[in-house]
Amino acid sequence: MTFLSCRFAIFCFKVASRRAAPSRSSSKRSSSSLSISWLSSPSRGTSVRKDDAPVSTGITASVPYVSRKGVSPVVECGVPMPAELREELMPKHVAVIMDGNRRWAKMRGLPPSEGHVALVPPLRMVVKLCLCWGIKVLTVFAFSTENLLRPKLEVDFLFSHFERTANSEIEAIMRERIKITVIGDTSKLPKSLQKTITIIEEKTKDNSRLHLIMAINYGGKYDIVQACKSVAKKVQDGIIHLEDINENIVEKELKTNCTELPYPDLLIRTSGELRVSNFLLWQLAYTEFFFHKKLWPDFGKDEFVEALKSFQQRQRRYGFLS
Amino acid sequence: MDFRDGAHNLYHIIVAIGYFGLQLVWYFMQIIVSAWYHISIVGNMFESYFISYEVLNKYKSLHIGKLRYLAVVIESEEAHQMSKVINLLRWLDSVGVKNVCLYDMNGVLKKSKDTIFQIMKNAKSIEEVNEDVTHHAPDHMTLEFVSYVDGKEAVAKAANLIFVENFKRHDIGGELDHQILLESHLNQALQIVGCKGPEPDLLLVYGPVRSHLGFPPWRIRYTEIVHMGSLNFMRYGSLIKAIYNFTKVRHNYGT
Repeated sequence: MTFLSCRFAIFCFKVASRRAAPSRSSSKRSSSSLSISWLSSPSRGTSVRKDDAPVSTGITASVPYVSRKGVSPVVECGVPMPAELREELMPKHVAVIMDGNRRWAKMRGLPPSEGHVALVPPLRMVVKLCLCWGIKVLTVFAFSTENLLRPKLEVDFLFSHFERTANSEIEAIMRERIKITVIGDTSKLPKSLQKTITIIEEKTKDNSRLHLIMAINYGGKYDIVQACKSVAKKVQDGIIHLEDINENIVEKELKTNCTELPYPDLLIRTSGELRVSNFLLWQLAYTEFFFHKKLWPDFGKDEFVEALKSFQQRQRRYGFLS
Repeated sequence: MDFRDGAHNLYHIIVAIGYFGLQLVWYFMQIIVSAWYHISIVGNMFESYFISYEVLNKYKSLHIGKLRYLAVVIESEEAHQMSKVINLLRWLDSVGVKNVCLYDMNGVLKKSKDTIFQIMKNAKSIEEVNEDVTHHAPDHMTLEFVSYVDGKEAVAKAANLIFVENFKRHDIGGELDHQILLESHLNQALQIVGCKGPEPDLLLVYGPVRSHLGFPPWRIRYTEIVHMGSLNFMRYGSLIKAIYNFTKVRHNYGT
């Protein structure tokens, strides 16, 4: 109660002082953060923003954000950035493991195929928000190498669903200038899907607003092995010497090298599982993890904002001593 | 004129009251959320103490058999706190976790290996254990010390080893057999270059960031990753809870 009284007293003081100085510009960002970092448990990973102002983890007590130019960051797609997010702290590359589709269907007494159909709307929503809020790369784990072991009927349905969705969304993709790349062992996919992938990659190769990387029949170990095979080929062709092989050489041959930002800043996994499940093993060294209990078909804008907010409040050290 | 002035003033008063009221609501909401957040922290703290003192029944018996190999990632700055690291290892030993991999990016724990073995008398290095560590008799702890160089660099070395072996078997300028490079070959090569440890079942991250800080990528395919917070504030109860939650997880492995 003493704590709450202090907070209320501070608030009244701030309002009173603001009323006493009405000429202050209201377009400046007023970080009226009632900082309580000294009370937050460090075991939660108290974060420090890049400007070293302490904030309590999970709570940002700020008034609605106005950008430095004095204009609300409403972008052309018409979804304004929420007040609790900061434009300059937005991750450049977000990776998503869209987990929980089958469980979602099972909970509703539906066949697994319905869960896979329900995968698309939240993906569409996340893509739209990435477009609006300046996230440059979005990598989604659509189908893993292990998923091939699922019942054939389910696997065939998934592949045909990918194909149908790709064909139906191509206009929207071109309109929004999204570049699509598929990573994974596409040789094991049906020929028609391979053809669709080739067409869509070709059509969208010059788009630059958002790079959407779909991991289909992808595995982190598969990616490392194929990178090593590519290196071996280059050694054989005399492009690289054997003694020059190091981690950087291997890195350049990974499938995620299709983008200038191959390392995700943030990984979101839904359905409450706390694993990466063979996704982007090499690339996740300094990626911030955000695990959410909701199943993917129930993942909405609020949950995405929660993930971004959590990311923005963390201190990223990249393993270096600060 | 008086009426218009009066109306104008009334309008300003109403707007000011409305603004004040909205701010009041906004700040009260934040106070409520902050209070809830702190209540949940205090709640977690009490839960941790209750677990430590075996008040909560469900945490009393852990089916530790499911946890065959545990990895602990510690942020390099915090890894200097040797007493905390030793405490953590003692807790793990008391709970029955015998196979532990300790990782920090800069190799601080590797450098302190000798000190740790001097204090943990019943612990052996993974290099000394010949058999598969996940099947050895639980009379001692097996410790593995890993740093950044055992991750990506090790994969590059392992790949290099495979290429060199392959080139030896073929004439110079001959066809390189690409099929020689499969997952299983990389696994074997990694063992040869010194990366003996298996894939951990559970990885606990101690530090301010929710990232594994470069833990060997080849080994975390299906590893459960749990962020434990700073090593400075580690609690026995939180450790038990993390292990307990792991033992309750069902793995589908993508199928």
